Amino acid sequence: MSTMTPVPSRPATPERPIPKHYAARGRIATVVTHLCVIIGVLLSIFPFYWLVVMSTQTTAEIFGYPPKLTFGTSFVENVQSVVTSVDLLGSLLNTIIVSTCCAVLVMFFDSLAAFAFAKFDFPGKKALFILLIATMLVPGSLSLVPSFILMSELGWVGTLQALIVPGAANAFGIFLLRQMAAGSIPDELVESARIDGAGFFTTYWRVAVPLLRGGLAFLGIFTFITAWNDYVWPLIVLVDPERQTLQTALQNLNSLYLTDYGMVMAGALISVLPLIGVFIIGSRHFIANIAAGAIKG
Amino acid sequence: MSTAAPARPSPVRTAADPSAKRKRKIREILPLYLAISPFYLLFAVFGLFPIVFSIVLSFMDWDGMGEMTFVGLAQYQFLITDGRFWNAVANTFIIWFLSTIPMLFFAMVIAFLLHQNIRFTKFYRVAFFLPNVTSMVAMAIVFGSVFSDTFGLVNSAFTALGLDTVPWLSSPWGIKVTIAVMVIWRFTGYNAIIYLAGLQSIPTDLYDAAKVDGANLAQVFLRVTVPMMRPIILFTVITSTIGGLSLFTEPQVLLGDSGGAGEAGMTIVLYQYNQAFTQFDFGYGSAIAWALFLIAAVFAIINWRLVSGRGDDSRRRAAATKETRR
Amino acid sequence: MHAARGRRHPGGSPPPIRPSRRSLMLGAGLLPLTLAGCGSDPTISDDPDELVMWYWDRSASPELLEQATEQIPGTEKQLRADTIGTNFDTKLRTSLAGDAYIPDITYINSNNALYFTNENLFLDLGELGADAVKDDYYEWKWNLGMTPSGRFCFFPLDIGPTGYFFRQDVFEEAGLPSTPEEVSSAISTWEDWIALGVELKGGADSFLINDAQAVFESFLNSSPERYFDTDDNALYLQPDSAVRQAWDTAVAAVEAGVTARIPRDRATDQNAAWSSGRTAGQIGAAWWTQVLEETAPDTAGLWRLASQPVRAGNSGGSFAALPHTCKDPEAALAFIMWINSPENQAAAYRDVQLFPSTPGSFEELSYEGDFYGEQDPLEFFSSAAETVPESFISTYETMIGGSFSLEITNVETSGKDPEAAWDDAIAQSERVLIKRGVLS
Repeated sequence: MSTMTPVPSRPATPERPIPKHYAARGRIATVVTHLCVIIGVLLSIFPFYWLVVMSTQTTAEIFGYPPKLTFGTSFVENVQSVVTSVDLLGSLLNTIIVSTCCAVLVMFFDSLAAFAFAKFDFPGKKALFILLIATMLVPGSLSLVPSFILMSELGWVGTLQALIVPGAANAFGIFLLRQMAAGSIPDELVESARIDGAGFFTTYWRVAVPLLRGGLAFLGIFTFITAWNDYVWPLIVLVDPERQTLQTALQNLNSLYLTDYGMVMAGALISVLPLIGVFIIGSRHFIANIAAGAIKG
Repeated sequence: MSTAAPARPSPVRTAADPSAKRKRKIREILPLYLAISPFYLLFAVFGLFPIVFSIVLSFMDWDGMGEMTFVGLAQYQFLITDGRFWNAVANTFIIWFLSTIPMLFFAMVIAFLLHQNIRFTKFYRVAFFLPNVTSMVAMAIVFGSVFSDTFGLVNSAFTALGLDTVPWLSSPWGIKVTIAVMVIWRFTGYNAIIYLAGLQSIPTDLYDAAKVDGANLAQVFLRVTVPMMRPIILFTVITSTIGGLSLFTEPQVLLGDSGGAGEAGMTIVLYQYNQAFTQFDFGYGSAIAWALFLIAAVFAIINWRLVSGRGDDSRRRAAATKETRR
Repeated sequence: MHAARGRRHPGGSPPPIRPSRRSLMLGAGLLPLTLAGCGSDPTISDDPDELVMWYWDRSASPELLEQATEQIPGTEKQLRADTIGTNFDTKLRTSLAGDAYIPDITYINSNNALYFTNENLFLDLGELGADAVKDDYYEWKWNLGMTPSGRFCFFPLDIGPTGYFFRQDVFEEAGLPSTPEEVSSAISTWEDWIALGVELKGGADSFLINDAQAVFESFLNSSPERYFDTDDNALYLQPDSAVRQAWDTAVAAVEAGVTARIPRDRATDQNAAWSSGRTAGQIGAAWWTQVLEETAPDTAGLWRLASQPVRAGNSGGSFAALPHTCKDPEAALAFIMWINSPENQAAAYRDVQLFPSTPGSFEELSYEGDFYGEQDPLEFFSSAAETVPESFISTYETMIGGSFSLEITNVETSGKDPEAAWDDAIAQSERVLIKRGVLS
């Protein structure tokens, strides 16, 4: 980016007219584009559609042969079974608290670190960054027992901070935002902020955050989803039936011999819908980011 | 990022008081350490102990709750000669190869298309995002039905088209292809959204310039988009390498803890999970985990070198940019 | 064992059991936190009158649990029952390993043998007086709750006596005997069963059973001898062992072409095969009646039950146990004995179809429904339960059983040579047992 910005932008008026065939080809290209995208969309949506269909069916219909891909009539019963066997409101509230805290903390801490890594030099930077990447390779699933011991020593078992604090900053997000910052924050802006006497945190807030909005929105959404869907760790660390997350509460519906799959599917659907809402709201920031990019260019 | 060094002292040597200079330097550098500290602090508190624990565990025999017995290198010796482990390594790499390359390619294409300001973009974005949130229990049933050997939709379609049916879930290659399809299905949209975020940070004048020059979509894609996206591509390659080598959810959902017929869908992490959480052999599970760590580290370094190349990303990008503008 | 209830403080004298974890932690010097480390509690609830139980959905009668929440009959204590869904064992083990937040009472699945090597973490219910009700229970089930050292740590909940489920309509179509009595007598040996399968294949193009693993396991589940005896002798290595016979029977079924070659991991396919009649049978436990009724209601009235070859086996069935940290073992045992009395097990069958482990429960029960035509599955399985043999499931079996299942599936789905597959299973088992320190 650094050597790019000083290159003078092309004048808005083209020096030579757009060739005619370009427009025609553009129309065909648009159709082809839509066609490709629509095929991809159908493939993406299909299993989700099936989930919705299954949530309207009984277990028998779900496992019936051939599979029925049309809506059944048991949706209300399935939802009722979920609602009566799960403290939906309480667990939903806990899940929202955990996911929101995780997302906000991760967005803040990760972008701070990413900005420092992307745009500044300091002793030990390379080694620290390699360490950061290396932690992403560390196998996670075996840490259940030691993490549980740790939490019980801290007296955090059964509390929501056991789900929030350990993940409040993560290597994944720092790496992602560092890569995005490398491309989208011009050095000149950082330099001029410095000349204006702005310190690191002021520069971060005024320069980095606005330009990283797209990446931040992505990171926020995915941290939210990950926290939302996390199951094994909450299962281990939450010991109070009054304080469950949505996923642990829904998984508790599974029994030993017989599972009511219609109910499980309805539960899965209920747990997914808020995520779609968060995505739609969060992705508005992508649009905002297009505008930011345009101004910058 | 050597070009990005506002914190570097100016090359002009001044006769300023060295202690004042050091003070200023500390004042400039301290916030940087403060900024990166949350991650390292949390890692020290919550990450380090489990890591040390699992390293120690790999030299022990432990069933997950009782007494530990020190066994030295026995777990690693067993691992070297364990055919099931090496089968899992081979499976993991095959599935990684089958899934990652198409996945990143499709993701890039989708992101590029969605970035063309076509209509319904908002809807498309939600649609491509759905696979990432759809419940895994539902996925097990859906993919089981779609790829079922005798009753599946895919084989029904093959029969209708006069093709031979494929034993998707009972032949070694069928299993691997099905898992790869599931990975592609689940993560293409996710990567596309990362790419889209990256694309949106590319200044629009670059595109305008290319269009004015009469470049078609493919040329714009190859000569503007790809070079500008290099850091993001590097990110997705590294994360999908790590993700691919620790592939677990898809085979487990599709085939259960056993990895399917002939363990053809047994991946390294599934094998590790199987040993630790169904066989309750935590010592061996840890040894597998650390073997995977080594493999993943080597592989990540190779990938890093391949994608980022030698030298500095931004300089390369700048060069590429100039080229497209010529 | 009661002494172990006391909270161990870090830095104190090494406790008799498992010094490993905490000394490791302290040794690693990683936890300045341990200084403040007396905070965690070995049990979950602070309330001395509240006993916490872990179970999973549909493994106890909700009404009875409700009652115990008010007061456990015959005691001053109250029950708090927490449902734990999937990953039950992981959660229980993590708590036991962490020595914190351990339930006072826990249910354990039929894989209770996994806990034998750590039997010290559980109280001996015999010592506490459980033997008083021993005669109410099927003896074979009671003995499955006994550790190899003779401690009675796992109290019987439900059982899973097995029989051969078959599609009467498909059998008729193939021109085969089709009443329960006829089929039972036609399949009194495994050879006869396979021979019948060949006729079924010829007459109705339908399979006797879905997979070879089911044959192998059903054979072993009905055998008095399994992989090991209580003295850890590897019986499976002896010529003509039960394991080898089970293997040969499964191989014979595969070679006769009577298995549908749909491995167990493909549940959707297995269900579809049963609903469509492509597979006309299954050796299943009592609890499978309910599964079948819910997943394939369209086949109602078509299924019947026949006695499986040789004798009935047992598949599944859970236990209740008291972790060593249990606050009040007497009250906890009183609860277990109360909720598993013949009368209350009958109630649990009516509520959630748990098949009773007390013969006395059946006096109060009757089956209503016609999924099995005129046949009464309750009667069928309660008499099958009488013939289930005594057997011993070893912890070591859980380490090697998978190798045999894997290899028999290889024979079935990829046509691996049965002898080579057997040798591989034996070799793999030996390697694992040596690594785990069982063999030297």
